[in-house]
Amino acid sequence: MSVARLTLRFFRRELKNRFAGSFTGGLWALVQPLIQLAVYSFVFVYVLKARIPGADAPGYVPFLVTALWPWIAFSEAITRSATAVQDNAALIGKVSLPREVLVVATVATSFAVHLTGYVAIVVALALAGKGIDVAGLIPAILLFVPLFALALGFALIAASVQVFVRDLSQALPQLFMLLQFAAPIFYDASQTGALARWLALNPFTFYADAFHALLLHHGEVGLARLAIALAVAAIVLFVGHRVFRRLDPHFEDFL
Amino acid sequence: MSDVLIAARGLGKAYPKVHRNSDRLRSLGRLLVGARDRDRISVLRDVNLDVVRGESLGLVGENGAGKSTLLKLITGVLTPTTGTVEVRGTIGALLELGAGFHPEYTGRDNIAMSAALYGLDGARLRERIPEIIEFADIGDYIDEPVKHYSSGMVVRLGFAVVASLRPDILVTDEVLAVGDESFQKKCVRWIEDYLAEGGTLLLVSHSMYHVQKLCKHACWLRGGEIAMSGDVFDVTQAYLAYHERKTTAQLESAELSRSGHEFAVTDITLNGVDSAQPLMIEHGADLRVAVGLRSRDGRVPSLAIGLVRADGTPVYGVSSDMDGHVLRPAGPGEYRGEIEFPGLSLLPGSYAIRVHSMDPEGVRLFDTVERGLVVRGASREFGLVRLAHRWIGEGAPPPAADADA
Repeated sequence: MSVARLTLRFFRRELKNRFAGSFTGGLWALVQPLIQLAVYSFVFVYVLKARIPGADAPGYVPFLVTALWPWIAFSEAITRSATAVQDNAALIGKVSLPREVLVVATVATSFAVHLTGYVAIVVALALAGKGIDVAGLIPAILLFVPLFALALGFALIAASVQVFVRDLSQALPQLFMLLQFAAPIFYDASQTGALARWLALNPFTFYADAFHALLLHHGEVGLARLAIALAVAAIVLFVGHRVFRRLDPHFEDFL
Repeated sequence: MSDVLIAARGLGKAYPKVHRNSDRLRSLGRLLVGARDRDRISVLRDVNLDVVRGESLGLVGENGAGKSTLLKLITGVLTPTTGTVEVRGTIGALLELGAGFHPEYTGRDNIAMSAALYGLDGARLRERIPEIIEFADIGDYIDEPVKHYSSGMVVRLGFAVVASLRPDILVTDEVLAVGDESFQKKCVRWIEDYLAEGGTLLLVSHSMYHVQKLCKHACWLRGGEIAMSGDVFDVTQAYLAYHERKTTAQLESAELSRSGHEFAVTDITLNGVDSAQPLMIEHGADLRVAVGLRSRDGRVPSLAIGLVRADGTPVYGVSSDMDGHVLRPAGPGEYRGEIEFPGLSLLPGSYAIRVHSMDPEGVRLFDTVERGLVVRGASREFGLVRLAHRWIGEGAPPPAADADA
């Protein structure tokens, strides 16, 4: 059987698994980020009166939505994948299969769920007249491709290292909490002053800026930054694959 | 006929020692830079194995001998530390009582996943599912999550999936031990059909009955190395004898030191051979035991001879005074006794001959000397001895039956 079909089967199982046993089913994928969005809106817009500086700056909620959703897809894909190999120890010990499939399926599931939610909510905000350019949705969706590659690269590293060092899956959510606030998701890069260039080290910063530019025409990302981001995604994926391949023959010894 | 499906050369597997968590970190570092781990526990060493199409090979050995590791290396679940293993053809494997089922999913979902992992998907899978469910025969449980299954049911389902795939090579690890009597019979019948159609089998079992019934050849793994391989009867008998000796060795050391030597055994020859090594004889051959005895006070001792299985189970015992036989003198204070068992009917296996010197009345036992005896032969009869028997009322012979002796 081809690896692609096997991946598809694991992907379908993962998808089914995420919503199996919950009454709302697939709706939950939309409900969860909506609740998160409601909490953040309350805290930042209502309580802290946060706003994006600038004369023709977008509203805070569309600003938050356009970058937060891709971030959730990205971070969740990696944190979930970290245990993808470990959770399937029973299977790995009994059947010989290309183990990358387990990681790819987990990352793909997170992206599928949250990309769907993203499209739905962006369209909804556009219809509500929140200043969203629907034409930017197509390139925005295309931007998920390098983001997926980047996530998969990190996920392959996390999943294989987790087999050896079990602390990783505990540490990752903390790390991602840190990275979440070290990216221009809740604020604009211009608000950070001199720290803005440190922000650029966060691999997600480019994507946050790019989504803001494409959907809200807020700020700009040049071709040079796009080229760097694509290169980074390719390198991370390559390294991730190499690390996974190197450690793969030893999984059984440590599981 | 030289269609080699599995070829293992110098195959070895070592596991890293991971007592502490820092070991795991160190291993990770070494593996990432491409170095080997130093502290390793070797579980399998230098195994060379060829399995040709149509072969049925049983793997026997104690717990921890490396049987499961070998199977895992062959199926590709484990990566060998040294050597290579080449496999041609499809493998259907049931390792360690399961087929890698996911506990949260129903039996039906797991069948689909499991079959997909073996390359069966889409329409061909849908065709087979009723057949698999029928073979597993677990009733309504098929739509329950596998976590609610008994271990027997898991094996039933696993076997049913593998059976439906009809792989070139069937690998089973202690599968028959878990199923109930009727499922065991079903599996055995299925495997026999599979072998008759040219299938290839690798079987791990602690049941010598199953190994002898299903396999032509056997391979005995001891401490990670092949101790013996060859005809299934030779290997399993040697393996059982090894176990029986192991059990008695533990019991015996306690018994040694209590022989007041008023009447002592000086020598034994078995079929004319005076050696501490076990005597090998063919099933049905004659056995002659000659014993030299010494008497301190000049009275004529009596001689008792016992045959026990290697684990100590008595088979037969007799003494000269019971039979009213008086030993022949062979010098001052020396006596000789000799006894013959014509056409010894012990079944193939490992036994011991115990020779005891006793007082003239045959009441007190003074000295005991033991010699090993290995009876060889190919027989699937049960028990210790062949009892004289005949079958009554002959029917018409089935078309292709062999005439059995």
